[in-house]
Amino acid sequence: MQQPQWWWCAVKKWGYLVSRLLWAGVATWVILTITFVLMEFTPNAQYAQLQFSAAQSGGDPEQALETAKRLRGDTGTLWAQYTEFLSNIVSGNWGWSTYRSQPVTEALATAIPWSMMYGVPSLIISTVLGMTIGLYSALNQYSREDYAATLFAFMGISIPNFWFAIILLVFFGTVLNWVPILFDTGVAQNAAGNLTLGGVFSLANLRQLILPVVVLTTGSIASLMRYSRAEALEYVEADFVKTARAKGVSDRMIVLKHILRPASIPLATLLVGDLLGIIFVGSYLVEVVFGIPGLGTLSYNAIINQDTALVFGTIFVPTFIAIVGNLAQDLSYAYLDPRISFGDDE
Amino acid sequence: MSADGDDAPGGDSGVRTDGAGEDVVSSNRRTFEDIDWTAIEADSRRVPPLTALWWGLLTVLVSGLLFDAYWRFAPEIPDVPVLGLLARETGGAFSFPVVGVITPLTWLYALTLLFVVFKAIVPLVRDRRMTMYYWREFRKNRLAVLSLVWLAVIFAIGTVGPLFLNTPKVAPLEAYQPPVFMSVDSGVPVSCVGETINGRCHGTWEHPFGTTAQGKDILVSVIYGMKISMQVGLIGSFLVILVASAVGLLAAYSRGWMDEILMRYVDIQITFPTFFLYLLVTFMFGGSLFNMIVIFGLFGWGGIARIVRSEALQRREEEYVLASENTGAGTWSVIRRHLLPNVSNSVITAVSLLIPSLILFEAALAFLGLGDPTIPSWGEVIASGRRDLDRAVWISTLPGIFLFFTILAFNFVGDALRDALDPRNVGGES
Repeated sequence: MQQPQWWWCAVKKWGYLVSRLLWAGVATWVILTITFVLMEFTPNAQYAQLQFSAAQSGGDPEQALETAKRLRGDTGTLWAQYTEFLSNIVSGNWGWSTYRSQPVTEALATAIPWSMMYGVPSLIISTVLGMTIGLYSALNQYSREDYAATLFAFMGISIPNFWFAIILLVFFGTVLNWVPILFDTGVAQNAAGNLTLGGVFSLANLRQLILPVVVLTTGSIASLMRYSRAEALEYVEADFVKTARAKGVSDRMIVLKHILRPASIPLATLLVGDLLGIIFVGSYLVEVVFGIPGLGTLSYNAIINQDTALVFGTIFVPTFIAIVGNLAQDLSYAYLDPRISFGDDE
Repeated sequence: MSADGDDAPGGDSGVRTDGAGEDVVSSNRRTFEDIDWTAIEADSRRVPPLTALWWGLLTVLVSGLLFDAYWRFAPEIPDVPVLGLLARETGGAFSFPVVGVITPLTWLYALTLLFVVFKAIVPLVRDRRMTMYYWREFRKNRLAVLSLVWLAVIFAIGTVGPLFLNTPKVAPLEAYQPPVFMSVDSGVPVSCVGETINGRCHGTWEHPFGTTAQGKDILVSVIYGMKISMQVGLIGSFLVILVASAVGLLAAYSRGWMDEILMRYVDIQITFPTFFLYLLVTFMFGGSLFNMIVIFGLFGWGGIARIVRSEALQRREEEYVLASENTGAGTWSVIRRHLLPNVSNSVITAVSLLIPSLILFEAALAFLGLGDPTIPSWGEVIASGRRDLDRAVWISTLPGIFLFFTILAFNFVGDALRDALDPRNVGGES
């Protein structure tokens, strides 16, 4: 068969990239629309409360509702509300948090660094360690170390994050007294309450971040180990690896060039997609247990306090990151894997 | 292999005609003419008792469920016609004779168990040969066998226990009782139920797992938690199987724009982080256990629908399907007789790995206080002991052990099922 022209390949590749970009946009729009519909069809607890208190104090509940709606901009036709909702989201006006008495975006901005403080180290550790152990397991399949790693992976997947966090807190906090039980935000902040670089990397702050990192890493490292083991196993017995061995290529080179390279493509995509999900869900519960004032705690408190705008804001962040992660996954696939077809049948 | 031993299941009577016919085919080869087709046709029209029982029970359950739903909601919706005998003023549950009020959750659970019995256990019992084969494959994984025993015990206790035990009551005077064989400083419990020796309160068999800060018995809570976890796992995955197979098969069969729309929707649903979706919907619609399970069922099927679709697309092109289509089998019969049975192995495997995540989600939501406040679940008990870690460790740790081992057991069983059920997966691994 004749090879297609190079420019045709480029056109197809760009077409693929553009279609993925468009698709991410469509996905965002659909999710926002669904959210709007959900918000529209659920009774607003704040309105109900307002009406209730108006009726109690002898006012007219209907009028109180009207005023509240006008204040929040909930007036006009459904279409007008919908377009306003969308333009607000796009322009970064995510509403007012009643519980924090500040704009939702500001509350998010103060919370996210706290989540990153243990999320990023955990992401790096679980990636490096998980891939290494998985690769080792695949190369020594059915060895004692492989069984141990598999067992550990099953434990890691199965252990409930929040319960594990509690157990660790009991053991290292209460019994051994090595780490503080209560999370102290002060050690990472200056007198004005802003995060400082020295504070974040101070010993006291690092010490209280150890357990969250450990808990979060157990869950994500386990699934990464499983995946990288399965991926690497596909290439351990591949013909080109056998050929390389027969030619006398050193073990190191075989692992790095012939096994890790092809296996890393699906793994790289897994990293953004699945791992981010595990980290976000894990961080939600971990923060609540440890009392870290990050995104998870913010969302949790918003739910407890019926702060609808903040609840949506805190849920939008991981959702958008998931969409962007998926997009990055598709794009990286296009660049990393020369075998991908920029699909007529995609 | 003789023709006698290889008859199609259920078709052995009526195939043999008479003595004369037997003589003709003494070499065990039967030709088209040897078979008494009228007898077979008469036989195929007779409904086997088990099938009759299945349809009978299904009809009873579904009509009961519809009637109960009608009784509950009809008076609240203005436009529903209220039929003569059923005319009534107020909403609320119908009290059935003998069993009394049946909750929506119980209806769903009964339906789920009916499906498990008739679509999993009965075929396994009937087809001994395949069952033994699967069992031999499954048995290779000793941890999985152990896990299966653990799950069976949890299921049995969780089903029987709540029938005899009342939900744990708040008893402030019996707060912080330590579990049996354990002792705490006698300052911790309000009053020690057991013996106090040397200033330490010892646990008693009255509360084998101790009590919470409210004086609720933890063992009873744990037993109720078993029921809840099983219900979440089984009903949730039952709903997922229903929706996923319907969507997957529909997409595979219709192709074209229907396929496109369904699969693009699945893309979006999968993009949305499941846990946050559950969190959002539970926040908006309230976290009764029924709501939670329905949400799990309605939003958790994306991955499995993809599996069903791709498997069904492959199977459709296979020769036995083409052959049956050529002999005039309709779409529905092809789906029911060829596609569904062949897709089911992949679905069962995927679902057995979905169950632990559903249980974990329920526990996490209950832990966050978004669960059902009326029913004690593992996550809720773990949360209730979070403030008392320094003096009453058992409150959070004991239910967590059950949660951990149940999830672990489901993961082991799912892994072994994948090895046993999936013939393509020879010697390999995940």
